[in-house]
Amino acid sequence: MELFLQTLVNGTLIGGLYAIIGIGMTLIMGVMGIINLAHGQIMMIAMYITWVLWQFLGIDPLLSLFISIPLVYVLGDLMARYLLYPLMEKESILPENQVLMTVGIGMVLVELARTIFTSDYRSVQTSYSDIVWRLGHISLSVPVVIDFFIAIAFTGAMFWFLIKTDIGRSIRATAQDKEAAILMGVSAKKITILTFALGSSLTAAAGTLFLPIYYLYPDVGPIFTLKAFVITILGGLGSTVGAIAGGLVLGIAETFGATYISMGYRDAFGLIIFLLVLIFMPGGLKSLTKV
Amino acid sequence: MKYLKVIIILVLTAAFALSISGCGKKADGPVKVGVLLPLTGSKAKFGEMEKNSFELAKEKINEARTKAGLNKIEFVYEDDTGKPDVGRAAMEKLVNVNKVAMVTGGYSSSVTFAAAAVAQQYRIPFLVNTGSVDKITEPEAFNLTTDDGDKFYIYRLNPPVSEYASGLESLLREVVKPKSVFIIHENTAFGTKGAEAFQKSAEKLGIKVVGDESYSGGTVDFKPMLSNAKKLNPDMTYMISYVMDAAQLMKQARELNWKPKLFVGAGAGYTMPAFKENAGVASRRMVSATLWHQSLPIPGAKEYFDGYIAKFGGDGPDYHGAEAYAAATVVDDVLKRCNGNYDAATIKKALDATDMMTVFAPVKFTSYGKKIHQNKVETYVVQWIDGTLKLIWPKDLANAPFEYPIDWTKIWAK
Repeated sequence: MELFLQTLVNGTLIGGLYAIIGIGMTLIMGVMGIINLAHGQIMMIAMYITWVLWQFLGIDPLLSLFISIPLVYVLGDLMARYLLYPLMEKESILPENQVLMTVGIGMVLVELARTIFTSDYRSVQTSYSDIVWRLGHISLSVPVVIDFFIAIAFTGAMFWFLIKTDIGRSIRATAQDKEAAILMGVSAKKITILTFALGSSLTAAAGTLFLPIYYLYPDVGPIFTLKAFVITILGGLGSTVGAIAGGLVLGIAETFGATYISMGYRDAFGLIIFLLVLIFMPGGLKSLTKV
Repeated sequence: MKYLKVIIILVLTAAFALSISGCGKKADGPVKVGVLLPLTGSKAKFGEMEKNSFELAKEKINEARTKAGLNKIEFVYEDDTGKPDVGRAAMEKLVNVNKVAMVTGGYSSSVTFAAAAVAQQYRIPFLVNTGSVDKITEPEAFNLTTDDGDKFYIYRLNPPVSEYASGLESLLREVVKPKSVFIIHENTAFGTKGAEAFQKSAEKLGIKVVGDESYSGGTVDFKPMLSNAKKLNPDMTYMISYVMDAAQLMKQARELNWKPKLFVGAGAGYTMPAFKENAGVASRRMVSATLWHQSLPIPGAKEYFDGYIAKFGGDGPDYHGAEAYAAATVVDDVLKRCNGNYDAATIKKALDATDMMTVFAPVKFTSYGKKIHQNKVETYVVQWIDGTLKLIWPKDLANAPFEYPIDWTKIWAK
């Protein structure tokens, strides 16, 4: 029973963090219709920003959210404005080329990071990073719990933003039917760039939150790109609620499989769920809801 | 007009012929030696340490060579990114495009094995210095027999993974005397074979293996596996991991309050300075098998260690760096004995006759069991004590006493 509860708690905590990794990708996917393969690299950039702030200025990783998010927002805006949108404007350029562009952006970011920071592994040690709460026989790592609640807060805020605000509605409208949205007076360019920047900054939040519990090196990105991709498909392309559900399902499935069957196949359990969802629920988990 | 064309063709042909003969004159230039290492990707940190060591050795070697009026050695680095397919392609490039005289390096087991197959196919001598899965020096794996030494082009100066724990065995037998062990390993060739070898050691020592779990590198959350292990309450745990997984494993073991008598690592990640930096408190009193330590009574070991720190800073190299430095000196020695004749057969003959001392260990390629061209190396045990890696076993070579038993509550407190 203890083991079961510990597994459930760990799975949920990891799932909450997975959700915030996936949400940035799903947003971009929904509006731009492309898979952002530089996703993990953007996360890596945010992690380096956080690390530099901690290492040289002593700023706590959680406080550096206020710096890493705006910085990456600007970076995302510039990438969308000058690198991705010009490819979208030309009818003759296939959408696949935007995906290739994101691959290129990812490579440049990795090599830039390697040039500046070398291949050294980095991690941050905060005053609370080694603290563990024990409830009976269940142990909770404090940084993971804090990260989980911040991730939930961000995800909730994003959800509210998309449902309630004017810009949020424009984003959803563009995602559902671009032509109709343009006819209703939505500027496709503005929304596209905004979405990419917003998606990037959510990804940055994920990176900053992950650094205290993981580690960092220039090639860390692909692990997260893969996770985000699975979550995006699991949840249903372009759905925020779907990404939250997808993240939780993935986290819990992986953790239970790892505990009760075998740790070596941890990633396989997530992918089995992924296959089952594709076969029996092709629209992803979002087909269970109306949002 | 017609004449012009003819002239152009003639000139081009002449230029082409000249360029070919230019290639042929390379004997005066430096001797090219390929070095296969993971310079990017998740194992880049190891690759960097080895590359630095090769460069450090190169300076010394070329200085001596210039004095002696010999050709300089040029190391051609090729990045295998830690992936077997890329390793194969990198080896093909070294052989066909760079036309190197021989190849050395080879970090992770699976990559080294894949690249060794290519070297064997092209009959290019390949001196492996880190890749440790046993089959690399077993001709059987290349469709040869142990009698085919003259057809087998792979040599290895580091011990195979099955022998990593030989020094550790005597420590366990004489001091720790554990009754049970839980084995944790990465699901790669290096991890799986290392775990198999340790199961055999455990059987020999009368230690019961209560569990054996694998994981894939880069995992965020190891707690499911660690909670299972904790429940079984083994006397010790044996872990085979690369550096950052090692740090994550120990951090999370501490979080779960899992306190076996001893945590033992199988070298690789557990001896790297990056392990201590990233695991922090959780790295204290960790024990690991190792192949080398700077305090060993090996001529040049300390000079190499200090020279590395002076040039590249940081905490200095562990056994990976020493292996690379040793490989460079073996290459230098072998090429000297080729008397300016750098074809594969001559180099191979020189490798066969190698018998020298390096900063890592004595190097002499021997045959035993299923292996040929394998260097026999002693292994040792180290422990992280007060932030430095101390040699604790065998006792007569140790530079610090073994800290045992360990009060984890006190050691892990901030």
